[in-house]
Amino acid sequence: MEAPVEKPNSRRSFLKSAGSLSISSLLGTAALMTMSDDARANMEWAEWFQGNYRLMSEEEKALARARLERRYSREYGKKVVVDGTPAQEGVLMGYALNIKKCIGCRRCAKACVEENNQSRGKDQEIEWIRVLKMEKGEFSQEKMNQGYPEGLGIQVGGNAYTPVGDVLEGEHYYQPDAVPEKDAAYMPIACMQCEKPPCVKVCPVRTTYREADGPVVIDYNWCIGCRMCMSACPYWARRFNWSDPNLPKEAMNPVTHYLGNRPRMKGVVEKCTFCIQRSRQGRYPACVEVCPTGARKFGNLLDPNSEVSRIIARKNVFRLKAELNTFPKFFYFMD
Amino acid sequence: MKKPAFLPAVLLLWFVSLANAWAEPVKCFESRKGASEVTQRMIGEDLPNVKCSPKTGAVLWWGNPFDGTVPMGDMPIQDADYTRGKAVVKPRSDKLGLLPLCGNSCHTGSLPKGFPTSKDARELVMMHQAIVLDSTKLPHGRGNIWCLDCHHSTQRNKLVDHRDKPISFDQPQQLCGKCHGEVYRDWREGIHGKRIGEWASTGTKRWFVCTECHNPHNVQHGDRNRGFAQHQPEKAPTLPKGMKTADHERQKH
Repeated sequence: MEAPVEKPNSRRSFLKSAGSLSISSLLGTAALMTMSDDARANMEWAEWFQGNYRLMSEEEKALARARLERRYSREYGKKVVVDGTPAQEGVLMGYALNIKKCIGCRRCAKACVEENNQSRGKDQEIEWIRVLKMEKGEFSQEKMNQGYPEGLGIQVGGNAYTPVGDVLEGEHYYQPDAVPEKDAAYMPIACMQCEKPPCVKVCPVRTTYREADGPVVIDYNWCIGCRMCMSACPYWARRFNWSDPNLPKEAMNPVTHYLGNRPRMKGVVEKCTFCIQRSRQGRYPACVEVCPTGARKFGNLLDPNSEVSRIIARKNVFRLKAELNTFPKFFYFMD
Repeated sequence: MKKPAFLPAVLLLWFVSLANAWAEPVKCFESRKGASEVTQRMIGEDLPNVKCSPKTGAVLWWGNPFDGTVPMGDMPIQDADYTRGKAVVKPRSDKLGLLPLCGNSCHTGSLPKGFPTSKDARELVMMHQAIVLDSTKLPHGRGNIWCLDCHHSTQRNKLVDHRDKPISFDQPQQLCGKCHGEVYRDWREGIHGKRIGEWASTGTKRWFVCTECHNPHNVQHGDRNRGFAQHQPEKAPTLPKGMKTADHERQKH
């Protein structure tokens, strides 16, 4: 019979070393807390240990926002506001986009970057809106009998009256001298703010959730960067910060919301929030305001007099991939 | 010792930056090139009135959506829904440099003697060719209308409706709506056209009027033959790391 030997990794010794480790890391953080540009150095220790925003009490939320305001103001050299305005009663934010009016100028994508403090530059460019250039459908007399599966067995895309296997599936990187091009249609895609969002279902830490007034938001501090939500999203609406975001000080928008456009860190997912920092204050999202053709419309779905309600009532409306039962609050419409 | 040398340098830098700021006021256009331009300036600490695209010169972001606007004023109401909220527009009259002159110098209604007020198309030599090159072939209306169908025949600083009532240049929708009724209806309801400001149906909105997005003298734009003119797009997104070209998108498959 063997004598019991004390294991070198007992529970007690583990706790001991863990304790000393955390103390030393705290000291290290304190040593780093100088007037530095580096986000990690400016982080107060409480930010590392704060809880899930949705589960915080009102005081904890206020403290978390004040901490962030201090850090961002120091990093960006201007007075940064981190707002926490909650959802308003009787509001369900909805969006409508006139697919026939879109000319593919991409101003919405750029306005979104100006507003929402995304990373920019060659190394890591993040845009929440993507405008796809598509081939225009053609319903001409001589093509009436084409477009059905022949030879290939399955239809691989394109429009019904153009032969299968001879179409483009949509261009992201088109760059002509002038838009709209002849024979092209454009389709902007961003987060659809689903009523039953697949991304929320898969988040293992429940840091992304649907707010009471509609938008699906992320608590960036609680995000662990597993990117499950990105693979669950059927609309390719989410973006990941693979490296430290590059946000120039002078271009940073100092009016932010905790769940919206506050500067993100490396290793977190981000997405469209219907410009929560603006829409909660009553203002149109940035992409709605910038659209030169007025194709983008935004409003309260519960208000029968709002622009979106009127569009849904009287125009031809469709939702992207409606068959997935995600119930988007983003409607495409036609005149 | 150091301070006196330091101070002039700072002053010099300050002057240089000031001179730079004076030298090039950034002008951008709001919806289409050639209409409603704004000059970039600061309206608060860290708050510019507009942010512009460095590539195309288009406004991308408004610091204050109601900057320089006035109430839309008396519009024919009936079932128009802009009465619920507050509607404002950006006046255009003060941008039209010759407008006060038009009514006084040439088109007073009496001078010159025998001045024709008929709506029939005739050739205008020397005058107005910057706006419409060949006045006998007005691109708007496919030959069915002419200048005086929209411009008041005796008050040239006004537009005209179909009962010869003058209309302000700030409210062209009253004129355009007389032919384009369906679009006008959608516009009144907020379905057609651009507006910025507050999204609530009872909120304040700045309405963009017809001519801020459409050029009334040339609405067809040659081949395109549709409402909105072609213009330069913004930069394409950066290609993913390691991808050299986007040729894969252009291959038929």
